[in-house]
Amino acid sequence: MQSKRHARHTILVMVLALAALVVAGFAQAQPLPRNETVYKAGMQWGPPPGFNPFMSGDRWPVTQPANDGHLIYEPLFAYNLLSGDLDPVLARSIEWVDDLTAHVTLFDGTHWQDGLPLTVEDVVYTYDLVERYDTPHAAVWDYLESVTVVDDRTVAFTLDAARPHRAMVLHELTMVRIVPKHVWEILELDVDTILEIENWEPVGSGPYTLLRHSPEQVAVERFDDYWGSEVHGVPAPRYIVHPIFRSNDAGNLALERNQVDWSQQFVPEIWRMWEDRGLPVGTWFDDEPYFLPAGIPSLFINLQRDGLNEPLVRRALAFAIDYPSIAETAMSRYSPAAQSSMIVPVGVAEQRFFNEEDVAEHGWRYDPEEAVRILEEELGASKGNDGIYVLPDGTRLGPWVAHCPFGWTDWMTALEIVSESARAVGIDVRTEFPEAPVSHDRRYTGNFDLTLWTPEGGQSPAHPWIRFHHVMDNRGVADIGGIAFRNWNRYQNDEAEVLLDAAALTEDEAELAEIYRQLDRIFMRDIPMIGLMYRPWQFYSFNETYWTNFPTENNPYAPPMHGHTGMQIYLNLQPVER
Amino acid sequence: MLRVFRNRPYLLYLTRKAFWYLVAFVAAVALNFFLPRLIPGNPVSVIVGQMSAGAVESATLERLYTAFMRDFGLDQPLHVQFWTYLTGVLQGDLGTSFMLYPSKVWDVIRQALPWTVALQVPAILVGWIVGNVLGALAAYKGGTFDRFAFTGSLMLSSIPYFCLAIIFVYAFAVHWPLFPASGGYSFGYFPEWSWAFFVDALYHYALPFLSLVLVAIGGQAIGMREMAIYELNTDYVNYAKKLGVSDRRVVRYVFRNAMLPQITGLAISFGTLIGGALVTEAVFSYPGLGSLLFTAIRQVDYPMIQGITLIITLTVLLANFLVDIAYGFIDPRIRAGQVGER
Repeated sequence: MQSKRHARHTILVMVLALAALVVAGFAQAQPLPRNETVYKAGMQWGPPPGFNPFMSGDRWPVTQPANDGHLIYEPLFAYNLLSGDLDPVLARSIEWVDDLTAHVTLFDGTHWQDGLPLTVEDVVYTYDLVERYDTPHAAVWDYLESVTVVDDRTVAFTLDAARPHRAMVLHELTMVRIVPKHVWEILELDVDTILEIENWEPVGSGPYTLLRHSPEQVAVERFDDYWGSEVHGVPAPRYIVHPIFRSNDAGNLALERNQVDWSQQFVPEIWRMWEDRGLPVGTWFDDEPYFLPAGIPSLFINLQRDGLNEPLVRRALAFAIDYPSIAETAMSRYSPAAQSSMIVPVGVAEQRFFNEEDVAEHGWRYDPEEAVRILEEELGASKGNDGIYVLPDGTRLGPWVAHCPFGWTDWMTALEIVSESARAVGIDVRTEFPEAPVSHDRRYTGNFDLTLWTPEGGQSPAHPWIRFHHVMDNRGVADIGGIAFRNWNRYQNDEAEVLLDAAALTEDEAELAEIYRQLDRIFMRDIPMIGLMYRPWQFYSFNETYWTNFPTENNPYAPPMHGHTGMQIYLNLQPVER
Repeated sequence: MLRVFRNRPYLLYLTRKAFWYLVAFVAAVALNFFLPRLIPGNPVSVIVGQMSAGAVESATLERLYTAFMRDFGLDQPLHVQFWTYLTGVLQGDLGTSFMLYPSKVWDVIRQALPWTVALQVPAILVGWIVGNVLGALAAYKGGTFDRFAFTGSLMLSSIPYFCLAIIFVYAFAVHWPLFPASGGYSFGYFPEWSWAFFVDALYHYALPFLSLVLVAIGGQAIGMREMAIYELNTDYVNYAKKLGVSDRRVVRYVFRNAMLPQITGLAISFGTLIGGALVTEAVFSYPGLGSLLFTAIRQVDYPMIQGITLIITLTVLLANFLVDIAYGFIDPRIRAGQVGER
């Protein structure tokens, strides 16, 4: 017994000694100072798989320009959501020297974070890299002939004479981030495709460098030797951190608790944060719709299904849907009621092409009586015992399944409303919510009755052209059963394709307006899809407990964006004195 | 019977066990490969779909699609893919993740695993020890103590552990914000060997740990109590009592005998270590393998699912194998059983 007790004592002493050693060995580390750090949310949902700016998927802050994508790597230009213009980033100007050639001039003194100069050679090399390896942005080469050096500050972008499209090239000038040739020349030696490069130590030209990363957060630190300090200014926060939340709720709670300053997450009923709880939280508008509408989540219709292949049936369906209820319930009032146009009517630059008279004359709105009238008078359909209409040839209107990915709650609610309001009129629409990969597959292969998706949800110099192209251009789209990444119902219309090509060639505002007007009228006649609501490009919300001077509708010094021209917000934020 | 095993019942016992574990392992590896492929949905079309944002022409995307199908080996027949997977596993290569391309599966798992282990192992051990002691005491003492301990344990063990987790988050993180609602440590800290980080991590650790440990205590206590009550009424106990053996010694006998099934229980707990943490980690937004597996399944990331389920398989098999070895030592009857036919 005596020896046992002795042994126990020895062990205890040893454990205590070890503990003391461990404690003594601890450094006195501190977290990043709160008043110098901006916390962000909503752009990274999993462990970062490296920092390759050519890959898609979550790679904050190099994923894409809209998601803080200028912090480390910079593109030539930034897209300004409010004005529709290109704002300078690495390039100071763009000038069209003839119909097909644009001269892009870099700012003087541009240099990389490792100190070497950023030259026109880097620009040419990057565009070459994008083409050689089939990166997502290889698309720019569908419209480009060449990218060449003019002089030591100027690069010539020459359009493909067979398929010139200025707006698409301008779009890509804002998307492709320039990488240092001296680094990537070596990186590309070891791989089959640059998409394989993880790039854990990104060297860019931007105002921030990667500080640390873990599966729980990514942090960047201000780069004080930034080339653009004089041209663009010095950002206020010394650190920017993106914690990686595993659920939307966790991120929203953090915004409410001022642990996150600036968020890109969907927060249901966000106005309650300031109206009910008095929190210093804000969005672009203080009132509905709170966010700037930019995209049109739309119900794509299978044009081959019996019944749905009849445009008047689609028209009746379009009149049957309760758009105000979708905006109010499903979209948490973040959307005005959808109108029957492929052009976003408010807020963004493309609104100038929205034609209210055409929509009133040729379009649709929530009007169940009109839906019934079309069905009965124009189609001669009669209601069956089950309350569902049957066409004179015996085709029953449904059951048709509308689907979207499971868990996308706002969209699921929207489809439930579609189903309810269609059945109220006498069209049998049901809902199904498979997991996202299944939903995607069905959409790509055309294996659906009705599917909800946003055609080209962002905004760019190429909008609204790119949206019309997405929905109405069938050239280069795989047949049903094959995999298509746009025009999922394989809508085909020669007239629309001619108009799209004409729109690509002109920059004349009046001419463009006329072309889009015609395209929109074809859309309202053929109804390949039905817009259900408007969605902001990004959910721009902020908590001003630690940082103030976020732009709003009343202080619109920068657009409500987490990237592109929204980068200017970092220059203007002010820490709260405490 | 082979000569080497003669008079070495323990070796025979171990060899037989090892053989069956090997069979189970091979079967499990095959299931790990084929089951994820039954999830509907094409992983590559998801990845390429993500890239399509921003009007990429279909031709480019089709080239990307083909390239990824080739890179991931999905254009190969299933048996070829299986062979690639098997040879990879044997060389310790779990492949490249689809959803986190181009990250290696093992690199991602390596970063998540410590969190899960650090959350689960102490919870299981503490739950097991405290639960068993509580159960044995309740059985032995009876009366009011037993009534409270038994009812309490019954209540705790019948709450699904994720319900308790949700209640904890709502009560102690949202309603009364005493503890953080999510994460493994505060934003602005990074994992490092520092006192401040350690305290901060511990603060985040408290709620998920408690939600797991309380349920574990409840379950173990009930099991132990039943076993102990059964043992207390056996002949040997009555006989020992009649002989006037001291209470202390009787309790020790009872405890040792009642322990045997509880050790199996411990092994099973260790086996479900990773799977069991899945929902807890999701509720607390806690880092770890559970959340990773959850995302991987939803994104149809075959290599990631395979990698994580392989680790689960290995822990289950290893835990059970160790228990079998331990049983051989602890319980002479099992060893004897192996040579019993003679």
